[in-house]
Amino acid sequence: MIIRTDVEHIARLACIELDDEDLQEFTIQLNTILEYFEELEDVEAKLLQQEEDNVLRTDEITPSLSQQEALSNAPRVDGGYFRGPRII
Amino acid sequence: MSQREHIEKALKTIERSDLNAFITVDYEGARRQAVEADAGKLDGRLAGVPIAIKDAISTKGLRTTCASKMLEHYVPPYDAFVIQRLRAEGAILIGKTNMDEFSMGASTETSFFGPCKNPWDINRVPGGSSGGSAASVAAYEADLALGSDTGGSIRCPASFCGVVGLKPTYGRVSRSGLISYGNSLEQIGPIARTVKECATLFEVIAGHDPADSTSLNLPVTSCEQSISDDITGLKIGVPLDFFGEGVDAAVENATRKAIDILVDLGAEAVEISMPSLRYALPAYYIQAMSEASSNLARYCGIIYGHRVKKDQDWHQTFSKNRASGFGKEVKRRVLLGTYALSAGYYDKYYLKALKARTLIRADFKRAFQKHDALIAPTMPHVAFKIGEKIEDPLSLYKEDINTVPVNLANIPALSIPCGKKGKLPIGLQIIGDQLDEARLFNIAWQFEHNTKFNKYAE
Repeated sequence: MIIRTDVEHIARLACIELDDEDLQEFTIQLNTILEYFEELEDVEAKLLQQEEDNVLRTDEITPSLSQQEALSNAPRVDGGYFRGPRII
Repeated sequence: MSQREHIEKALKTIERSDLNAFITVDYEGARRQAVEADAGKLDGRLAGVPIAIKDAISTKGLRTTCASKMLEHYVPPYDAFVIQRLRAEGAILIGKTNMDEFSMGASTETSFFGPCKNPWDINRVPGGSSGGSAASVAAYEADLALGSDTGGSIRCPASFCGVVGLKPTYGRVSRSGLISYGNSLEQIGPIARTVKECATLFEVIAGHDPADSTSLNLPVTSCEQSISDDITGLKIGVPLDFFGEGVDAAVENATRKAIDILVDLGAEAVEISMPSLRYALPAYYIQAMSEASSNLARYCGIIYGHRVKKDQDWHQTFSKNRASGFGKEVKRRVLLGTYALSAGYYDKYYLKALKARTLIRADFKRAFQKHDALIAPTMPHVAFKIGEKIEDPLSLYKEDINTVPVNLANIPALSIPCGKKGKLPIGLQIIGDQLDEARLFNIAWQFEHNTKFNKYAE
């Protein structure tokens, strides 16, 4: 069972601002879904060993996006940089 | 008919349509390519064929939204691997199809661009999340389509719209350029009106891509070559676990009748039990949501995506961008995934889900030691009404009961029409062992060839 302050905490971790109405609705819905997840409580199994090896490649320089392409979808751009919120 | 006339016909069908199957239609690009096709400049196995692309697959220069406000204005600077393949084979990309936001849903109702509708009944959902892809093919708005399937998102709409759809073996098709939701589960796959066309499209998109480290570096076996082979002696397993409560009697009858038809064609069918499947649905949702919470962390509104007008500090800006850019279902899944992975709950949820996945994989492995393929209903019932389930998230999750086991086991499965309830199509699910797509197409072709359930195949 999770309560409203738990949902507030999860939302802070997930970086999603929730208003009062959202908090109320999600607290109810998340509980219903988490209760359903309890069906896994009796699962006992050894985890499979990793079947695949890591896939490695040689570190070769290949063409990538140009600066213009990389910036083309940014909501705010300043002098060839992404513009983030102010820090100070 | 010239290619230009063929494309114009498809574009006109889209324009007149009430289905809302497309988010973006590339009129200009499609017309330009049709002219090239008529001038003999397009070669390849799909030369001049109009194809619809799920809006979760990146297309260079063509807006790709994932049906989210977050990506409303996003224009990819590169093509997905599968799009490069389609272009190389001369296909004409007609537009980007409607879907559940970030592929999260089984009804194509969570789209920021409004719900897509079922061509067989405009008041019903087309299934999801690749609803626009299946609906567009069913309504002749495109000849072929690509979808993606994380927990049933190709097979569900294929079933509800009466077309053919394949979820390939995990790693068979590159995910490079597919906007990630649950990356250990999802695959891009083909949707078509007939089994043969579906097989052709699968062969075009399958294969190794170094840009996706989970892509298999193994040759692609031809599916078309063996498509009409005799199926005498084929061993079919019928897992009774797929016929549980909630499966409509009409769907069960149609499935059993389909099995009888395959037996008449020379196959042997045996009922089997796969007890671990009762864990499949919660295990799938925990894992998919956990992966989603991590995959969707990239949407902060700085490098691309939706950004609120007024900046505050970094945390507040991100949180407001995500609050106003994501829809409710996306928020629910990201919150639940964040919770399942958070300190103190990892063992209770995520680790349990991984263990359940291990059991499910072992059950399928056992089944394929004795059987060549498994047969089950794709969906528990036919297409439901728009609005019927959207207020109750858990009831929508339960739609995926028969499709998610396949994703958890990394194996391929195909849905084909096998009957109707009233005017609504019923889908038959044919499940195969890893990399056994050719066999699935063979069984499906034999079924389609010897029955009249697929009206598009006549």
